[in-house]
Amino acid sequence: MINSSFAFSQIHRRADKEIKKVFSVENYLLDRAINQNYEDFLTKRLLSINSNDQKIGYAYLGTAPSQTKYFDYVVLFDKNLVIQSIKILVYREDYGGEIGSKRWLSQFIGKTFFDKFIYRKNVAAISGATISVNSMTDAVNDILVYLKELKNQGVFDTAP
Amino acid sequence: MILNNCIYLLFRIIINNLLMKKTILIMMLVATVFSFSQEDEQLNIAQTQLLNLADLQSGLTIGGYGEVTYNDFDTGPSEIDVQRLIILFAYKFDDRVSFITEIEYEHVKEVYIEQAWLNYALADNTNLRAGLLLVPMGIVNEYHEPTTFNGVERPTLDNKIVPTTWREIGMGIAGRINDLSMRYQAYVLNGPISYNGSYKLKGTNGLRGGRQKGAESQVSDANFAARLDYFGLLGLRLGASYYTGKTQTTDTSIIGSQVGVNMLGLDARYVKNNFSARAQYINAVLSDTEKYNLAGDKDLGSKMGGYYLEAAYNLLPIEARQRLDLFVRYENLNQHKEVEGSLKKNLALHRKEWTLGASYHLSRGSVFKIDYQSKGTALEGSKAKGQFNMGIGIFF
Repeated sequence: MINSSFAFSQIHRRADKEIKKVFSVENYLLDRAINQNYEDFLTKRLLSINSNDQKIGYAYLGTAPSQTKYFDYVVLFDKNLVIQSIKILVYREDYGGEIGSKRWLSQFIGKTFFDKFIYRKNVAAISGATISVNSMTDAVNDILVYLKELKNQGVFDTAP
Repeated sequence: MILNNCIYLLFRIIINNLLMKKTILIMMLVATVFSFSQEDEQLNIAQTQLLNLADLQSGLTIGGYGEVTYNDFDTGPSEIDVQRLIILFAYKFDDRVSFITEIEYEHVKEVYIEQAWLNYALADNTNLRAGLLLVPMGIVNEYHEPTTFNGVERPTLDNKIVPTTWREIGMGIAGRINDLSMRYQAYVLNGPISYNGSYKLKGTNGLRGGRQKGAESQVSDANFAARLDYFGLLGLRLGASYYTGKTQTTDTSIIGSQVGVNMLGLDARYVKNNFSARAQYINAVLSDTEKYNLAGDKDLGSKMGGYYLEAAYNLLPIEARQRLDLFVRYENLNQHKEVEGSLKKNLALHRKEWTLGASYHLSRGSVFKIDYQSKGTALEGSKAKGQFNMGIGIFF
């Protein structure tokens, strides 16, 4: 178990801040959400957020490509795997940084793995940030497909 | 990139478990061997970043864009041209400092630098910039990759009034405010030259004749440019640009060698499902044009500007990987909107143009374009000139 002082880098510090804000907790513990022998998805991990011995949600720390670099983000889910928040933690170049817009990211809130995001249809385009918009959209879709698969395999069916 | 990831993971495992000097030494040697197989620069990067695991991805990124075009005019010979080929280099020195440059080959033989600036990230969303910068006026001057606009040629409004690709040497600040969904830019920079022994600006090409492009540019006055982008309304992007200053001269003592410039730009882009649209308005007020025209025997207008409206519709399903946009654009611009003194308005400089065509995006980053343009003017009894264009554009 990693406690809430795991923030040893800028990325983790910011994710920590967002977790505390979204779940209204001062202290929490992180653990690997999956203890089976699954291949780490995109070399990052799905973490479960626990407080007072209760599972209150999940966090996914991910990386996705922007035009010439890559960016780090976190997706926070409640214990029913409903998206509560997405935040861009570090965006490393100039163009495409518009995806950090709170308004744009709020499109993903409240969605679950029953949802699929289609660029320009139920995910708004941002003129001038097409590459990163598509990158973030693809990333969210991939995570949701991944979670659906895990759910079907009963990975989340342990006692809270 | 995969090699860097392997090194990164290796470091994490070893350092998390055994933080011993001996192990680190071995790791450095291993890293050296791995790095050496890539490029010589990576040798030092891997070593210096050994204890700073934050970002091993610094270094060089190469990109580019290009256009090959075919223009068939009503009268006169047709033209087929590798209109431009641009190579973009982005080098990241560390988390805060990077350098961006675009080297352009126009018509196969002319070489220019389109951009060359150093970026210093003060904070996550605030950057200081210095170098050869793009003037943030209008849509296409900033976003000019061929896959991002419809039509083989750039809009006449941008070509004649803005004048794209407009870049000057200067410095300033650029950043984002995520909570407000806004982007801002503000620069102090050089300006177009109006006199360097001969008078460079005239009615038919406005400021275009004075573009210095960063090549041993003359500086007599500092100009100022700023732009705000707003993207808080989903699917819509609004922009407002402002440019103010004086044109440059090699001799400030000569009366009429300079004109004052005040340019305002407003633009909007909308994308939703299969539909996309653009609108742009540019207005430029030039002062002291009477003195300038008298001194240089020219016909520069005192007010020039115009607008365009464009709508496009994608004929392919939205989930498809390709896109076929059918578009229509109407442009209305006047380089003699107003004239000072005894200069008579040249109605041939009031242009009204229609463009109808298609952009077939074969993949993200590649496009085949075809369009027909009808270029008319307000000149009495003049007939609109037709132009047929085809071209390919790439961006990576």
